[in-house]
Amino acid sequence: MILQNIKMAFISIRSAKLRSFLTMLGIIIGVFAVLMMIGVGDGVKSQVSGQVSSLGTNLLTVTSGQLGSTSSSAKNGQQQKASGGGLNLAGALGSSTLTQQDVESIDKTKNVSKTAPYNIVTSTVGYQQLLTSSPFIIGTTPSYSSIRKEEFAEGRFFTEEENLKESNVAVIGADTKQNLFAEGIAEGKEIVLRGQKFSVIGVIQKADTGPSLGASSDDVVYLPINTANKLSGSPQIFRILVEVNSAENIASTQKAITAQLSANHQGQEDFSVLTQEDLLSAFNTILDLLTSFVVAIASISLLVGGIGIMNIMLVTVSERTREIGIRKALGATSSNILSQFLIEAIILSVFGGLLGLGLSYLAGILVARLANITPVFSLKALVLALGVSLFVGVVFGVAPAIKAARKNPIQALKSL
Amino acid sequence: MPKNSKIVISMKSLSKRFDDEAGVLDALKNINIEIASGDFVAIMGPSGSGKSTLMNIIGLLDKATSGVFELDGVDIASLGQKQLAKLRRDKIGFVFQSFNLLPRLSVAQNVELPMVYSKKSAAERSKKVTEVLRKVGLSDKANNKSNRMSGGQVQRVAIARALTNSPSLILADEPTGNLDTKNGIEIMNLLRDLNKQGVTVIVVTHNPEVGDYANKVLSVRDGEIHNKQVKK
Repeated sequence: MILQNIKMAFISIRSAKLRSFLTMLGIIIGVFAVLMMIGVGDGVKSQVSGQVSSLGTNLLTVTSGQLGSTSSSAKNGQQQKASGGGLNLAGALGSSTLTQQDVESIDKTKNVSKTAPYNIVTSTVGYQQLLTSSPFIIGTTPSYSSIRKEEFAEGRFFTEEENLKESNVAVIGADTKQNLFAEGIAEGKEIVLRGQKFSVIGVIQKADTGPSLGASSDDVVYLPINTANKLSGSPQIFRILVEVNSAENIASTQKAITAQLSANHQGQEDFSVLTQEDLLSAFNTILDLLTSFVVAIASISLLVGGIGIMNIMLVTVSERTREIGIRKALGATSSNILSQFLIEAIILSVFGGLLGLGLSYLAGILVARLANITPVFSLKALVLALGVSLFVGVVFGVAPAIKAARKNPIQALKSL
Repeated sequence: MPKNSKIVISMKSLSKRFDDEAGVLDALKNINIEIASGDFVAIMGPSGSGKSTLMNIIGLLDKATSGVFELDGVDIASLGQKQLAKLRRDKIGFVFQSFNLLPRLSVAQNVELPMVYSKKSAAERSKKVTEVLRKVGLSDKANNKSNRMSGGQVQRVAIARALTNSPSLILADEPTGNLDTKNGIEIMNLLRDLNKQGVTVIVVTHNPEVGDYANKVLSVRDGEIHNKQVKK
């Protein structure tokens, strides 16, 4: 019977192709929009997590302010913070609470193999007539490079000696080099930051991980931290990168650093010690929030699509009143009629969902080619698309189907 | 008709009253009829006489207000909508004035429709479709669409459809009403041939020429059986 109903549904959908397509359009667009949003969100997530894990799981990042506090404390089985869940970015974006003393304390902590404090300086970067404002300018120590395991296309990273001497030397990322020097050699050339000349001593090999958190990790200028502090005039430590000797010691080292810094800060936890995982989950929290917001908006089109299906099905039921009368006279029960029209609505909806799925898959290929983000279409998204369109078909198909099933056969046979 | 043949339809003091905003109408009053298996019955009467109401009740599309109606020995008063639909499917083959084929379906698909509702297998259905189409002389039209056929052919398809579930009776409502004389005669001849093969036929009509085919004529006037006439 269901098989027959499916066959009937295809016959009537085929007999009104344009109308059926227009009816499906709402679902097509809705499913397409939802899947694209989820796909792009998941794509960015997987890229970022790929980048983060490529840095190694034995890294800690100490940052100013309370970031992702609930997740880390809950994980460690400690008491939850009174502030509850959520993310407070103000602490991370305001003036830093980290000090040189903190760096030295961390250095002395057990199992810590390397520390690299860093700072961000705002400046344009000039070379001859060219000027760019896009690079991240980071002041740091030589260990930063070895923690990040960077490889060099030209030259080398700066040394501790150059840092102590506040030398005007700079190491630049592959994209920055491309922007300023094109195919030429950058090593030995002089670039200008805040009116001061810096000699380029190295170019970092292009990372193959794509954009990171909105900014390319290849568009960057590294300066010795002392030089950077002198340049900006406001010495600060934005974050401290910590390498732990082994991934197994991450949790204990995280605790030890937290305790030590708490003591340094007179018991105020105005800082966070984050694992790569914490960073990722903080990032994912933001991204999930954004994604679900956009998906919620996209879902409205699914709702509209569903209403479109209901509308057309109501029209269809009216137009086919006579058919309903004939079928009932021939022995169709009300539930036969109900299932026939319900299945027709479901097929319209699911077919629309499948078209939306196909469309988003094609668009995904296009996006990957044009935008450097590869949307990820998981099985979850596929199940979601089919599930949602099935659901929409049922919800919005029931009312017209009931209307059809309730028709009085005598009246129905009299209709035109 | 043979004396000992089975009673297909039995109505005792059956009446139907319509009671709505438009007022009260006694469409049928004290109807008493018996139709036996193998009969060819014409229900005749002018429009407004109540013959359509009688047909709807016989066709299980409507229910009487009072009285007893037994179809094939089953008292239908106690049955719900679902059981009525199943009884319609299994016991009655409808033939309509305006043919009432589904235009989007092929001839074969139209003919097998009652069997779809009685959940026959595809093999059973196609065997039966071939058989009844041969009976009405349309074996070669199985894959045609009904909108490409003449009225006479379409009505023959409708008769084939009425035969598929081997019903107790064929109920034809003005089967020749939309046909020219020649095609009308053909259809009536076909119904007579089927009747000779044992199919019970009830024709509702106001056309006396159609009535001539019947061996039993029930004249309905003002909601009552005015005259029962048994021929031969």
